[in-house]
Amino acid sequence: MKFQNSKVAIEISGLKKTYGTTHVLQGIDLKIQRGSFFGLLGPNGAGKTTTIHIICGLTLASGGRVQIFGKDHLTHYREARRAIGLSGQEYNLDRFFPLHKSLTYHGRLFGIPKLKLKNQIEKLLHQFGLHEHRNHKTHKLSGGLKRRMMMVKALLHDPEILILDEPTAGVDVELRIDLWNFLRKFNQEGKTIILTTHYLEEAENLCQEIAILSKGKIAICDTKENVIQQAKGNLMNYFITEKQSEGFNA
Amino acid sequence: MLDRFPPHWIGFLSLVHREVARFMAYKSMTVFPPILTTILYIVVFGFSLGGRIQEIHTFSYIEFIIPGLVLMSVIMSAFNHSSGSIFMSKYDYSIQDVLLSPLSYFQMVMAFTLGGIIRGVLVGLLVLASGCILAHLTPHSISFTLLFLILTAQIFSSFGIWVGLWSERWDQQAFFMNFFLMPMIFLGGVFYAVNMLPPVWQFVNHLNPVYYMVSGIRYGMLNFQEVSPWTSLWIVLLSGFTLMSITIVLFRMGYKLKS
Ligand SMILES: Nc1ncnc2c1ncn2[C@@H]1O[C@H](COP(=O)(O)OP(=O)(O)O)[C@@H](O)[C@H]1O
Ligand SMILES: [Mg+2]
Repeated sequence: MKFQNSKVAIEISGLKKTYGTTHVLQGIDLKIQRGSFFGLLGPNGAGKTTTIHIICGLTLASGGRVQIFGKDHLTHYREARRAIGLSGQEYNLDRFFPLHKSLTYHGRLFGIPKLKLKNQIEKLLHQFGLHEHRNHKTHKLSGGLKRRMMMVKALLHDPEILILDEPTAGVDVELRIDLWNFLRKFNQEGKTIILTTHYLEEAENLCQEIAILSKGKIAICDTKENVIQQAKGNLMNYFITEKQSEGFNA
Repeated sequence: MLDRFPPHWIGFLSLVHREVARFMAYKSMTVFPPILTTILYIVVFGFSLGGRIQEIHTFSYIEFIIPGLVLMSVIMSAFNHSSGSIFMSKYDYSIQDVLLSPLSYFQMVMAFTLGGIIRGVLVGLLVLASGCILAHLTPHSISFTLLFLILTAQIFSSFGIWVGLWSERWDQQAFFMNFFLMPMIFLGGVFYAVNMLPPVWQFVNHLNPVYYMVSGIRYGMLNFQEVSPWTSLWIVLLSGFTLMSITIVLFRMGYKLKS
């Protein structure tokens, strides 16, 4: 990869997003270091998905800018999109083809050479316990298997930055633990991971750095230890105040 | 061998390939029905009713309408493909995978357009072959006919992309088909020669781009000219270019793709 010279994976400055008269993001600044495991938390409707979609270029910002490894993510869209793998909050699986075929098209979109792609697909299907379903279409999969498929898709082009939007929502405990182990290992390989989650223990368990998004602003952004300390030992405190005012549903 | 292309062109070809695989997986819904419909048209209008209709410029009625039927099948196949494909992938969010890939918006649009062109031309050629066999017709100029098939397919594939982006519900697509496309096709001279019409309608006909596509194909297949084939060619090229530019701009803007 050609990103060696930038230590910052993602830099967001002054990011704004407005829908009609709703100011979802009101000027967000974030700096996510290469190789960090970063948690983006906040109550429902805080704007986590919006932020992630703007980073990935799926939503247009109303102001501010995003740099991926030091380069504007829209001007240098090819590099930016190659650098990022997204597993979104909503399933977005192709319903036409069996898993392995749909993954082949997906991988070829990133220009991965045929043989390498074939091996990569085999490896990931095994790793995520989807190999026996390789000839099934996605609508035949259970919710948990669909989640795994979302992960495989995000990882297929071996991105430097993995972005996971609520990856364990509605997933059984076993898969959650498997996924946690996988993510730790992936992070140890030097990859950057950004995670949004409703499960606070997930963030406490995995992330090194945590930002909390609230009412369109970053309420706090620090190392996990500092964030927990400021929250008097329990991250939930941030949400409890939110819960009273806007109805937080985990 | 493909692996020698630059990565983003591999991606482009993969997207075209996927588009073709999508309709080929449902051949019985996407390729065969237009052929059956055409055969029915030829049997009903050509062989039974057509005998009671006078020759049009030395051509029997059936010969005269075959180019129109070919054109109609190209238009519907190309349009249905692109509008359906874009709409579906918006509906199940799989369009996000395309938007997240390193392809440029130009490449994305071109790949979707090509998918529609390939389906339109494939169906058009099959309809043309069945028509020619049933009516013992030999096309006057294969290359001119093919050129018009491709250009017509491009126009309606691009148009389909536009409608696919614009529509938010299935019935909006059907609405477009029934209240816009069908009248445009039927009033474009698929089933008649324009000089059979009263002057006012002749004028209206000349404003309909479909008329120039029909004329072009009729020239290619029958060597029949109401307007110069070169005039038709220019008008068709211009329409195609305009529509394609619009779709590229819409993709760049993220029109109904990005909130
Ligand atoms: N396309 C949209 N149009 C209007 N409002 C939207 C749209 N997408 C999201 N929102 C609003 O933006 C806010 C943030 O949403 P989101 O980013 O999904 O929050 P989170 O992921 O933190 O739960 C919500 O109030 C939501 O209603
Ligand atoms: Mg969300």
